Amino acid sequence: MARIIAGLGSPHAPAVGAAVDRRDEESAYWKPLFDGYKPMRAWLERAKPDVIILFTNDHFTSFFLDVIPTFAIAVAEQHEIADEGWGKRALPEVPGHTELAWHLSRQLVDLGFDLAVCHRLPLDHGSLSPLSALMPHVTQWPVRVVPILVNVLHFPIPTAARCFQLGRAIRDCVESFEDDLKVAVLGTGGLSHQLAGERFGHINPQWDAEFLDRLENDPESLAALTHQELIERGGTESVEVIMWLCMRGALSRRVRRVHRNYYHATLTGYAQVIFEDIENLPEG
Amino acid sequence: MKQSERDFANPSPGSYLLTVSLAQQAYRLSAFCRSLMSPEQRAAFKADPDRVMRAAGLTDAEIGLVRARDWLGMVRYGVNHFLVFRIAGAMGDGLAATGAKMRGETLEEFARTRRVWEER
Repeated sequence: MARIIAGLGSPHAPAVGAAVDRRDEESAYWKPLFDGYKPMRAWLERAKPDVIILFTNDHFTSFFLDVIPTFAIAVAEQHEIADEGWGKRALPEVPGHTELAWHLSRQLVDLGFDLAVCHRLPLDHGSLSPLSALMPHVTQWPVRVVPILVNVLHFPIPTAARCFQLGRAIRDCVESFEDDLKVAVLGTGGLSHQLAGERFGHINPQWDAEFLDRLENDPESLAALTHQELIERGGTESVEVIMWLCMRGALSRRVRRVHRNYYHATLTGYAQVIFEDIENLPEG
Repeated sequence: MKQSERDFANPSPGSYLLTVSLAQQAYRLSAFCRSLMSPEQRAAFKADPDRVMRAAGLTDAEIGLVRARDWLGMVRYGVNHFLVFRIAGAMGDGLAATGAKMRGETLEEFARTRRVWEER
């Protein structure tokens, strides 16, 4: 039986991936963020998940206004690296897990979630910034990745509650997959930031700290928030924290926090967490 | 566009969301911004922006927004900011410069509002 061993949270800003590529982790600007990746890299090496279920969004790279799926799953055996218009990053293609993706897409329908299925979905910074920061400079990724994409850019977008429930449903689906896989779930993006309008640059570190507390101990209360409430606190782009609620929904009701870091950067409140699943504690 | 959609699209002062009617209104300009993902299209745009925008069927008003680097106007019109960043980038405005313009500030003024700063 497959099981979820932990949930991870990571920002997904393009600047993070660019700093990885420049090997700029020790500069005064980037050290407070990359110090937060060190325990995550060590955790991944120790826990060795077989699969990461990655909650992310596309940024009008592979999707456009022509088709905007609310939820989508990438089912390919290999996920291509997108060229977002600044050249393709020199990263190996990311291995997928077609059998697990099929299982998830089929079982989720029975649980009330009908995901758009994508056989070719080049990944953009929403996926590649966190993956490359967690597993830097690899010639071959040590884990397979099943991306689940959430529309957070074109309204209407799904509610926080719906995302939390999707996480719950994914937990059930993972546990009914027959292979013995260790699965980590990864929520990406956020936390507070706003990238358009006269309020460009809005960051709310107090709210981000409260968000992280509640994500750990009382996620249902976050799932009850409206988009309007999230936007007022954290800025328009902070609504993407609904993807952290997908991650949290997939975990046991109580979790063991083994890592938390926060960096108030120029445009974004960057946060990182590891929550171990206390029903499925990893060995070692 | 109904008033209820207008209200939804402006959830707090200085904040804009992309809704169906706005996206529909700005479809062609959005598609043009996305086309700049192609290096050939980017080079053509840089060489002769007016010709390439006319060829894409953009209206005078849309071309005016781009020529004026009115990034805030583009967002209000219905172009998602990630698409705005592509055309702003092709015209030499990075993310912070684009944001500073939306705030009505110079880049230096915007930098002074930041806790930490890295030019990019």
